[in-house]
Amino acid sequence: MAGDRRLRILAQLAGHEHAGGETKRLCEVCAEVTGATGAGIMLMSGDVPRGSVCTTNDVSALIETLQYELGEGPCVDAHNLDRPVLEPDLANPETPRWIAFSAPAVEAGVRAIFGFPLQVGAVRLGALNLYRDSPGPLRDEQHADALVMADVAAQAVLLLQADALPGQVAAELETGSDFQYVVHQAAGMVAAQLEISVGQALIRLRAHAFGNDRPLAEVARDVVARRLRFDAGGGEMDTAR
Amino acid sequence: MARETLLARTLVELADTLVDDFDVVELLTLLADRCVDVLDVGAAGIMLAAPDGDLRVMASSSEAMRVLELFELQAQEGPCLDCYNTGEDVVNQELAIVNGRWPRFAPEALAAGFHSVHAIPMRLRGTVIGALNLFHIEPGEMRPADVVAAGAFADVATIAILQHRASLEAQVLNQQLNHALNSRIVIEQAKGMIAERERLDMEQAFAVLRHHARNNNVRLADVASAIISGTLAPSSLDRPSTRAPS
Repeated sequence: MAGDRRLRILAQLAGHEHAGGETKRLCEVCAEVTGATGAGIMLMSGDVPRGSVCTTNDVSALIETLQYELGEGPCVDAHNLDRPVLEPDLANPETPRWIAFSAPAVEAGVRAIFGFPLQVGAVRLGALNLYRDSPGPLRDEQHADALVMADVAAQAVLLLQADALPGQVAAELETGSDFQYVVHQAAGMVAAQLEISVGQALIRLRAHAFGNDRPLAEVARDVVARRLRFDAGGGEMDTAR
Repeated sequence: MARETLLARTLVELADTLVDDFDVVELLTLLADRCVDVLDVGAAGIMLAAPDGDLRVMASSSEAMRVLELFELQAQEGPCLDCYNTGEDVVNQELAIVNGRWPRFAPEALAAGFHSVHAIPMRLRGTVIGALNLFHIEPGEMRPADVVAAGAFADVATIAILQHRASLEAQVLNQQLNHALNSRIVIEQAKGMIAERERLDMEQAFAVLRHHARNNNVRLADVASAIISGTLAPSSLDRPSTRAPS
């Protein structure tokens, strides 16, 4: 059925309570749906502050720290290559890679590791990292879930950057308005209006939507129809009024 | 040009993408355009299933077609969805008399100026990866020969999309479709940027993008990325030549 996988993930995200807050929950769902021992979300782009959004445990945190410090690893590769990077057997890889990263990661108990890029069109935010304490590839279902999860996580990162409230993040993810191309057309227009990156423009659009309590797609349609501009003297200008 | 020549040329063109430097968005844009050129339809569009199972609009021969396809997805009814869900051809559905089948989609498509609709599955062995939509403006049935030709186009495009692997490996296919969907978003972002800088609407912005890509023999997604990263200014894009005064 259409959209099953995404709906199931969103339901899991909504039904998953955690004291650590929204981002911790996001990471735990990432690990759960993909059958990983632990998960983390690393940001590596100029559009958002570099750093970790969340990790599920100490090993996930170490995996991220190592990659930031060494500048190599599956997430760094996934981000740079713009595609998933899968290492099902880190202790005995078919092709040895990540000379500095692998030894301390294996030492900490990592046996399989997978990096999935977080991207929204041309906006490359970072990567989702998934690890397991036993070797073996992702099953097809888990791989598909990880792709959808990376997409959901990328949207969540943009929403958090726009200072969305916890409830708003879940609500906006459920509307799935990011699939509406009008949001991306509007982001291109706002980027040109403000001379900012498309990533920043996506965040500004969301912030405007939340600030005015309007659906994101509706705000985007106004921008594309040229009823709303973002470059009018420091604030948004509603040209219809 | 004779129809047979056009058909043959299109099949060769589609098969040509089987070689290096393959790009799904590029292929599907070509497929949509050629359907309009060769099959006597008013508009064509292609939807592919994303890894999450949802269909997404990947290419359309016109902005009107694209809006309708997006509407179809939003309303969750229409020829493309039926075709994808059943894996069967949907042909010669006259919009004026199929209101019961698609109560929301049919009036919308009629209002957009279409008369009848068709959808052909994109399928290889057991896997349906999407569907090709063909919309007629003029009254009249789609000729059986055109239905066969549309099926052939859809088959070649499907093989091209799936060919990067020796077998139907689900992970590679999903990754490739995911990449294609993301390319589509890059193109939309670039269209917005071009539209704003050059004072164009989205259809015109896409026409400029595509014209530049073809003229310079580069991929749409690559031109789009260059626009977004700022290495290519919208003002320096090759423009489609305006029609000479008669």
